[in-house]
Amino acid sequence: MSFSTVLSAAIQGLHVELVHVEADVSNGLPVFHMVGYLSSEVKEASERVRTAIRNSGIKLPAKKTVVNLAPATVRKRGASFDLPIALAVLASMGSFPGEQLEDTLVLGELGLDGSVKEVAGVLPVVMQAKEEGCRRCILPAQNVREGALVGGMEILGVEHLTQACQYLNGECRIEAVSGRMPDEAGKEPAECGLDYADIQGQEAVKRATEVAVAGGHNLLLVGPPGSGKTMMAKRVPTILPPPVLKESMEITKIYSVLGMVDKEHPLMTGRPFRSVHHTVTKAALIGGGSVPVPGEISLAHGGVLFLDELAEFCKPVLEVLRQPLEERQIRITRSRGNYVFPADFILVCAMNPCPCGNYPDFNRCTCTPPQIQQYLGKISQPFLDRIDICAEAPQIRYEALAQEKKQESSASIRARVCRARLVQQERYEGRGIWTNSMLGVNELREFCRLDEAEERLMRKAFSSLGLTARTYHKILKVARTIADLDGSDGIRESHLKEAVGYRMIDKKYWGR
Amino acid sequence: MMYEYWLASITAVSDLKKRWLREEYGTGKAVYYIEEIQLRGLEYLEDKDVMAVLRARKEKNIEKEWEELEKRNIRFVPYFSEQYPRRLLQTDPAPYALYVKGRLPREDCYSAAIVGARRCTPYGEEMALRYGEYLASNGVQIISGMARGIDGAGQRGALNGGGATYGVLGCGVDVCYPREHIGLYMDIQEKGGVVSEQVMGCPPLPMYFPLRNRIISGLSDVVLVMEARERSGSLITADLALEQGKDVYALPGLVTSQQSQGCHRLIRQGAGILISPEDLLLELGISEKESIQKSDKIEKTLENDENVVYSCLGFFPKGIGQLIDETGLGASALLQRLTALELKGCIREVSKNYYIKVR
Repeated sequence: MSFSTVLSAAIQGLHVELVHVEADVSNGLPVFHMVGYLSSEVKEASERVRTAIRNSGIKLPAKKTVVNLAPATVRKRGASFDLPIALAVLASMGSFPGEQLEDTLVLGELGLDGSVKEVAGVLPVVMQAKEEGCRRCILPAQNVREGALVGGMEILGVEHLTQACQYLNGECRIEAVSGRMPDEAGKEPAECGLDYADIQGQEAVKRATEVAVAGGHNLLLVGPPGSGKTMMAKRVPTILPPPVLKESMEITKIYSVLGMVDKEHPLMTGRPFRSVHHTVTKAALIGGGSVPVPGEISLAHGGVLFLDELAEFCKPVLEVLRQPLEERQIRITRSRGNYVFPADFILVCAMNPCPCGNYPDFNRCTCTPPQIQQYLGKISQPFLDRIDICAEAPQIRYEALAQEKKQESSASIRARVCRARLVQQERYEGRGIWTNSMLGVNELREFCRLDEAEERLMRKAFSSLGLTARTYHKILKVARTIADLDGSDGIRESHLKEAVGYRMIDKKYWGR
Repeated sequence: MMYEYWLASITAVSDLKKRWLREEYGTGKAVYYIEEIQLRGLEYLEDKDVMAVLRARKEKNIEKEWEELEKRNIRFVPYFSEQYPRRLLQTDPAPYALYVKGRLPREDCYSAAIVGARRCTPYGEEMALRYGEYLASNGVQIISGMARGIDGAGQRGALNGGGATYGVLGCGVDVCYPREHIGLYMDIQEKGGVVSEQVMGCPPLPMYFPLRNRIISGLSDVVLVMEARERSGSLITADLALEQGKDVYALPGLVTSQQSQGCHRLIRQGAGILISPEDLLLELGISEKESIQKSDKIEKTLENDENVVYSCLGFFPKGIGQLIDETGLGASALLQRLTALELKGCIREVSKNYYIKVR
């Protein structure tokens, strides 16, 4: 037999395209030819493959070898085609029967000695392969656990090219890691060592984050340096409801494409927390590259994106967040097509109240009113409009540090959050929304109805606090969440009053 | 008058020399037409002064400038004018001429200057507002510099009180500085006036501000310093006022507050102490207009649990963390009460979750 084909896959963004690796060995000048819209790292595979085959003790005949990666319209990148190319060539040389490779997907990078090295993006590829009717995958041994996350597949891990050949020849057996649902999923998140109980005092901020998480609201923490804003933000994922299996898989998929999954425990059972430095570029934040890879906002999908020192970020960088915050996904357009990455996260921002950080402590603050105004002016109004809750993180006082009072743990806060989330899910069933933060104007009218007393309160607040239509809606949404936390059907005065306390700082009146 | 304006607008020649010139020749027009030789013969004019006058004669299109002045409703009031404020004549040196948008302070009304730091605390601001409002509602004219902080607050208070207030600027009267006070600038013109000795279109340069301060103190009968640091422009105003023989009052603050150090020093030097607006009015010998309805003690109108929070607050901002410690309330309960108090107008949020008492 001189022709054979092996199934492999190419990843574009998060989208997986199955690729047929075809090899043909025929009489002619001894050349090794590779075609099929290959990037340079795939072209280099020819050298790796030939050397790896020779070092595995197999002699390459002096024949003309042509390798084609179909479909030719899809750009192939990465080193994961090494193993499939080698197997296709060996099959067409007759080293093992080609039928052995039917319904089998192969991924893997080769070393010159024939060893098989790990690759990125295994999970989405295996998921896609299953969908298209494959029943077996040959993967690098290190990627086996990741591949096994997809149920109902026979996952084989190989360490060396020779081992793969022997297996396909029936000379040895490889213990198949049968695809099974990992039992960790959907349970309590793995202990990450962080807990709200670590934070002494700071009741107000804790409450604000609880409300924010319960309703999926974005949060801005304002406070002087060293007031524990980062500490607080890091613990936000610990009170988020644990991800269900579907969510875990979705999150893991993104990390898999970037080669960021843990080899031993590939499934992401916790929610991600991504802290971004303020020097971040647009491309790193939303995803980029000529064939885009997911950026920080997609890595934060299902979890928390934390922007510390918000006022230090470049204005244009913050502006690109506006659309994903609204749509909960990011659409990146390149000449070769559209790429959509999920980006459903809770945004937690932190900033100082003024450049020196001490406002409104007038004995320590050295900033002039115009400086403070300018500092706040760095963040655009449309961006602030997407943040529902603003809370102050106060300077930590000695009493708070010294006291040894037992603080509430993340687990018990999470229980309340889960309850509130459940209420929301049931209420918005079938509307394509699942948290209060997603309410549109029409839904607000339907679900945030106010009684007479509440109506009066809001009218008063509207005029005396100088609210705008936008802040009014935000207060309603937050009040809805507080009511849900409270287990109340309707929004009461107390809920509204608390929500008013979380409203966004008004630039006009600040630092006057 | 056009020629008088021409003479006044020669900024290169000092006010005093312009005055001598005018007094020697009688009118501005006469000065305009003096021969060059004659000018050079005047011993108090240096060469550069003569050059400035000659240049002004040649280059200035005074007709156009005069028209512009009228078009913008800017009044030109030289020192010999009937309208020139009598109080100012006693200052040394009295400005050669004033440019006015709106009115000039009335001679028959008592006038008080409210001055203080631009970077002030909510306490100082609130007090300036309160003094401005109370005094203005009792017919006292409020003079100030329309600057950020205390000045602006005092004048805003006067406007709230329905009285007259006058802003003395360190730039041309057609320039609004600071720019964010444009609303105040317009309101002051309606209820009083803006005054400056600088010519039209003059930018706000630092050197003009001490000069402006002498006009502020000159136009007023009493100077109230609300908040001043140890080295503050407001202290210059106070010193000038003392030189001009005006009374100076200072508002005490916390001894630990840097913003009040200047005030405390003034008090030690013998300035009057501001205890309450009513007290001041009494001391100035002005009778209170039909006494404004004193509202009930605010504490009585509050619900019990609101009172707990209210009593913890003062004029210096307190953060929510501290309030939790002091009241022992939970975060959500505390926020509810704070919002209720805010809606009642008893407290104000000065920065995110920092509150002060306002009533």
